[in-house]
Amino acid sequence: MTDRGLASTQPGKFWVCPECDLLMNRRAIPHQHEAHCPRCQSLIVSSKRHSIEWTLALGIAGLILFFPANLFPILTLTTLGLSQSETIFMSVTALYDSHLYAVSALVLMSAIVVPLMKLLLMTYLSGCLLFHKPAPLLSWAMRSYQQLDSWGMLEIYMLGILVSIVKLVDVADVTPGIGLYSLTGLIIVTLLTSTQLDRHRFWRRIEQLERR
Amino acid sequence: MQHSALTRGIIICHCCEKPASIKQDGQTCPRCGTHIHRRKRHSIAYTWALLLASMIMLIPANLLPIMTFKSLGKGDPATIMQGVLQLLEHDMLGIALVVLTASIIIPVLKVVGLIILLLTVQLGWTTNMRQKMLMYHFVEWIGRWSMLDIFVVAILAAIVQLGSLASVTGNTGATAFAAAVIFTMLAANCFDTRLIWDKHLEKLEVFP
Ligand SMILES: [Zn+2]
Ligand SMILES: [Zn+2]
Repeated sequence: MTDRGLASTQPGKFWVCPECDLLMNRRAIPHQHEAHCPRCQSLIVSSKRHSIEWTLALGIAGLILFFPANLFPILTLTTLGLSQSETIFMSVTALYDSHLYAVSALVLMSAIVVPLMKLLLMTYLSGCLLFHKPAPLLSWAMRSYQQLDSWGMLEIYMLGILVSIVKLVDVADVTPGIGLYSLTGLIIVTLLTSTQLDRHRFWRRIEQLERR
Repeated sequence: MQHSALTRGIIICHCCEKPASIKQDGQTCPRCGTHIHRRKRHSIAYTWALLLASMIMLIPANLLPIMTFKSLGKGDPATIMQGVLQLLEHDMLGIALVVLTASIIIPVLKVVGLIILLLTVQLGWTTNMRQKMLMYHFVEWIGRWSMLDIFVVAILAAIVQLGSLASVTGNTGATAFAAAVIFTMLAANCFDTRLIWDKHLEKLEVFP
């Protein structure tokens, strides 16, 4: 097997599909914005123009939106002169008061902590990469971001809000607050960040910076 | 002829996808610092274990009440299914379907999908590979959406606090349901899709 030695000494010449392990010639992958694996059809390349500029801008926008989304009421319920507002953190404490400690921790993580961590990591990471600044913990930040990715669940929280509104419509008046609009913006920013993130380019840049 | 990278002596880091030589199996990746393995370690055993755990948790999740809606002091704890039926009684067909899909249909589909994928690897089935791949990506993507009911309970418990007029509290079924969702998400993470293609290649090499 002459290919065996060849492939491992020339890492730039080939590409491996992470989903099905197909070995491909680097040149066989078209220089498009997106490329799919010819065998299993998984998306293997998704290069974006100005990926780092985009994720930095989106990260900052997300951090700005995070605070109104968490501090202002999302919904206000009014009936017979009584009213009650809700923020994301209050849904955590309400579960805690119902003695569902594990579930309240899970909601705290998936609706507040993980989204905030993802924004902080992405802003730090793309800031350093954009200005070519070798900084500590770059590869740790990228690794953590990838691991946290599916545990941020703001869009599902949003669907939960919509279901709650429909459930309560008969019972009382429900009015959306500033928190809900900020949360909508925050979700759009989070979704855009994951579509604009070019993982391969990020990892290559991190490698260059950490080698210096 | 299709080659898998592994048979050519190449493994890739499952975190940052940097290629490495098979000699580096078990060492840390020079780029991201995670351990490189030729395949995710104990993938089949871990996936089965987490899948069984989630199947067990789905039983109390569906039998125990997940929330109590009290209006003027009246109201009993309701299970997920009773919640869906209540929505149907109030003529909210659309939202009842959303909740039914997220809370009952998706968890069952995820479990069935992962069992089919595990059996594919263990029994060496090599048909409909692309459909199986699509199925995996679907299971992986849809898993989180089952958290919907947990968030609905959390939001209602926070907002419906009008003293004796109306109140919502969460019940223990929510813990079991959340555990079932987490276990299936972890099970999908532990599954290594390359294993189903390994069998495919083995067969190609035996019967070229
Ligand atoms: Zn592939
Ligand atoms: Zn790596």
